[in-house]
Amino acid sequence: MENKFDKEKIKHLSNLARIELKEEEAENLAKDIGQVLDYINELEELDTKDVEPMAGGVIHDNSWREDNDREKPLPKEKSVQLFPEEKDGFLKVPPVFE
Amino acid sequence: MNLNELTIKGFKEGLSNKDFSVSEVVKELLDLIEEKNKSLNVYLNVFNKDALTLSEKIDSFLEKGEDLPFLAGVPLAIKDNLLIEDFPMTCASKMLKDYISSYDATVIKKLKDKKAVFLGKVNLDEFAMGASTENSFFGPTRNPHDLSRAPGGSSGGSAAAVAAGLAIAALGSDTGGSIRQPAAFCGVVGFKPTYGAVSRFGLVPLASSLDQIGPITKTVEDAEIVFDAIKGKDKLDSTSIEISEGKPTKNPKDMVVGIPREYFEKGLSKEVERGVSEAIERIKKSGVMVKEISLPHTKYALSCYYIVMPAEASANLARYDGVRYSRSEKDLNSLKDLYLKVREEGFGPEPKRRILLGTFVLSSGYYDAYYAKAQRVRKLISDDFKKVFSSSGPGVDVVLAPTTPTEAFKIGEKKDPLSMYMSDILTIPANLSGLPALALPVKRYHLGSGELPVGFQLIGKRFHDKEIIGFGKYYEQL
Repeated sequence: MENKFDKEKIKHLSNLARIELKEEEAENLAKDIGQVLDYINELEELDTKDVEPMAGGVIHDNSWREDNDREKPLPKEKSVQLFPEEKDGFLKVPPVFE
Repeated sequence: MNLNELTIKGFKEGLSNKDFSVSEVVKELLDLIEEKNKSLNVYLNVFNKDALTLSEKIDSFLEKGEDLPFLAGVPLAIKDNLLIEDFPMTCASKMLKDYISSYDATVIKKLKDKKAVFLGKVNLDEFAMGASTENSFFGPTRNPHDLSRAPGGSSGGSAAAVAAGLAIAALGSDTGGSIRQPAAFCGVVGFKPTYGAVSRFGLVPLASSLDQIGPITKTVEDAEIVFDAIKGKDKLDSTSIEISEGKPTKNPKDMVVGIPREYFEKGLSKEVERGVSEAIERIKKSGVMVKEISLPHTKYALSCYYIVMPAEASANLARYDGVRYSRSEKDLNSLKDLYLKVREEGFGPEPKRRILLGTFVLSSGYYDAYYAKAQRVRKLISDDFKKVFSSSGPGVDVVLAPTTPTEAFKIGEKKDPLSMYMSDILTIPANLSGLPALALPVKRYHLGSGELPVGFQLIGKRFHDKEIIGFGKYYEQL
């Protein structure tokens, strides 16, 4: 698998992951991630054509519950305390639309 | 009182013999923490006042002869990725340095109901990402056996606390070895239960198909006591399940132990090889049947893990977006700027590395080559275990292998991420397969002896947690 990891690729990924990076950081990450990918490419040598993927954890039964009220959510004051910025008991965020 | 050697069992005996009171022990522990924390950097937050108040209350109950739960008064250290209501929870990250927990994790609630005493929150690698605690925003924890060395990670604070006598027992979490590897480095016992045996509600998630909470203790018996207190189905964690109580477990003498040759093939230090071989000899001499087995896909576990784990981590850590949790910048012009800034400043290098790696393996055009491939390899690794446990195969009851390839490494020794990742190479398969695994030292290690601990792990069948605990207890008596 072709995965030359350069700074440009890292910048693209960091935009997808919403993490701003400094130039030097991007260079270091490109090097580190490139090294890890070189290692994990060993999986290519395994033939997994007929293997079922193992998704999630190990228990594949669904977990059901009655369709009624769940445990009480946090009291409002407690949630508001957790807001990084608050106005009149509401969570304040920067403008969503330009 | 020798706090280094004090177990839960010993603590309870001392209480009933009136050798000491709960508050005497807790006071002594708090003094020792105060003295040792400067050099070891184990505790991020010590609950001086609350621990003492609760201990005094328990003492007064005891004086009145009231019936109390077994864990009442037992002083514990808690890894700082578990929520305790109204106390800070940092995950050793700048991102959460001012975060206050608004509710209790289920394991915490269970321990509170049993009146255990929390001494405080202990250090870890940022967001449990690492194998040395060097990735902590608050600086590395040091190994009590040798201050120049790492205690392992990510539950390095928990293991160091128990080894240094700064807690009688501790809770940790294990995604790829984060309980067992530090337990091995610090010469204590660490238990990762079967996936689902313990509720993760209130544990900060790293990789949800792998994470499990478990105890770090001085003896296997203590690990069982803590495990019994925290296990069970929880409606707040739909992956949790009840492990049936009272199911008869096999007598250790009748168990068949499998030694997987792939775990001994390369990279083991001389000391680990010798220590583990001696442990196997002791088991053989006691009359237990030991068989060599093969888990052929072991060598691919690390690669598989470094696709699955970052993929899940990148999704789990998306919640730290500045809208919630913490916001370093105010009055920004757009939501996107907020995300970019907060995540740039809040995450250290390792979370950034894993988020970007996870974003990459999940991204369009690469998903099948990496993530889907890793899921298939995970199945092969898991099936390897199924085969050796099966009666139509070698029919072993427990797999015995070294916990780590080497003894504790020096702080600063692992320069690049890949060499750090390698130190979990022997612990990862149990997580990928969801199996219970108990790490224990090959013998008792005493602080100041100059010896670096070596440990081995017992990997059991799914839900047969009690069987490997039983075997661990048997080994300790040999």
